[in-house]
Amino acid sequence: MAPRSIWNGTVAFGSVCISVKLFSAIEDHAVHFREVRLSDGCRIVHRRVGSESGHEVPAERIAKAYETSRGQRVVLEDEEIAAARGSRPKVIEIEHFIKAAQIDPVYYDRPYILGAQPGSERAYRVLLAALERSDEVGVGRFAMRTRERLVALGSRGNALELYTMRFADEVIDSTDIDAPALRRAPTKQEIEMAERLIDTLAEVWDPGEHQDRYRASVLELIKRKAAGKEIEPPPRESLKPPQDLLVALQRSIDDHPRKQSFKARRKRSSAHAQKTTGAKS
Amino acid sequence: MARGLWSGTLSFGLVAVPVRMVSAVRDRDIHFHEIDEQTGERIEIRRICEKDKKEVPWEQIGHGYELDGKQVVLSDKELAAAAPERTRTIEIEQFVELDAIDPAHFNHPYFLLADSESEGVIRAYRLLRDAMSNAGQVAIGRVVLRSKEYLVAVRERDGLLSLTTMLFADEIRDPASIPAVPSGRANVPRRGEVDQAVEIIDAMTRNFDPARYEDCHRSRLMKIIRAKRRTGKVEMPHIEPEPDPVLDLMAALRESLARVKQT
Repeated sequence: MAPRSIWNGTVAFGSVCISVKLFSAIEDHAVHFREVRLSDGCRIVHRRVGSESGHEVPAERIAKAYETSRGQRVVLEDEEIAAARGSRPKVIEIEHFIKAAQIDPVYYDRPYILGAQPGSERAYRVLLAALERSDEVGVGRFAMRTRERLVALGSRGNALELYTMRFADEVIDSTDIDAPALRRAPTKQEIEMAERLIDTLAEVWDPGEHQDRYRASVLELIKRKAAGKEIEPPPRESLKPPQDLLVALQRSIDDHPRKQSFKARRKRSSAHAQKTTGAKS
Repeated sequence: MARGLWSGTLSFGLVAVPVRMVSAVRDRDIHFHEIDEQTGERIEIRRICEKDKKEVPWEQIGHGYELDGKQVVLSDKELAAAAPERTRTIEIEQFVELDAIDPAHFNHPYFLLADSESEGVIRAYRLLRDAMSNAGQVAIGRVVLRSKEYLVAVRERDGLLSLTTMLFADEIRDPASIPAVPSGRANVPRRGEVDQAVEIIDAMTRNFDPARYEDCHRSRLMKIIRAKRRTGKVEMPHIEPEPDPVLDLMAALRESLARVKQT
């Protein structure tokens, strides 16, 4: 089934205005449970109640309140909160462009896919082709629901892709964290050995080769429980850091079935690919 | 002090490093409480049994799943038995180039901290950090967090090991499945149009400086809250109408290029 759009608006690229539709780029395949009471499986519902009276409060009587640092309470209507969207909530105006490679992935929040509204297909494809050719992303802002966000507009799989972005002050750096001091430097030999192990495990990234195995485990567990079997998690085994790093690294390399370096393996596999498909590497 | 969300073992071959995970992002949004307008009471959410309307305490809540028309109930403890080894250990399965990973896969960023001050742990942690940063590679593994499995990318960032949860390939939507994404032979852009667009992009290119972007929404919302407190009123912004989509694409591109070249 084709997914439904979650937002409609306009991308403004200079004087080129493109009417677009926004779709989530994420599909949820997790096994979902319902909240129930353990004793009898009775379904749970959530109720909004007054914290003192315990009485249920109807939705139309619920308001949002902001508490100031001095404990003062400011009550706001939904429309008043929505006023923070600004005056152009439906327009993503591209302010400038950035080489995609310059952006650390920590700044990307959620991915979305843009579609074109009828009549804007060609303008959409012009911007897409230009972004693909220059390997850049456009930065702008837009308001989804009541929240204005910073966004990056790039390309993926022949489509315009939009990411909501994190602001710099939302990203924590290591100076904000109380981490144990890393005093002793590893020896040259240890580094070399670790790099050899990295090389042994190096691969070309292929996301499709990694599958979620947890979903199947959960479904298996549900079936076991339904069959009346006892379910006990195994005791936690604790792995200890090795006494001798060099010995552990050497054994890890020796134990690995693969002995060739990444480079040698790549060479061989691309030579193989050329032979079988005649493709140029 | 950052709160640990998860602690376990990062294993690199036979080198096991006890680590804990802390978030690498913080929520700076302005948050509101819900209140009852009539009584001024704070609103709380309570879990109630649908049948007898009794409140159910947190520890008596289980996970219900319908299987062949019959409900199966699992406790937290039973659910934790689904993949115990991946709940506690992140085993590095392979190393790949960071740039090869499509950022659409990235989910939430964390830091991994050594979970002990002991010399053995600190040395193993630092060795892994240094070796990965030298090799310019990221480690790929998997972890189960809050009853969901994620791929993870572990790399050096800012002097520490960072971990980013990633979605599986089948959780990322293929744009080809969306009919509104234009494709095919209709509306193929002309070469001249794309050339113009690339020129505009070049003229509008800046270096990435995350600190230049201010969260205007946050400051506008604070202004609204202050105005409401002082005057009891909020001025509604005038919403500008959406501009019409362009009809003459080439003319619009030319005009835009002339404008960006001027500035």
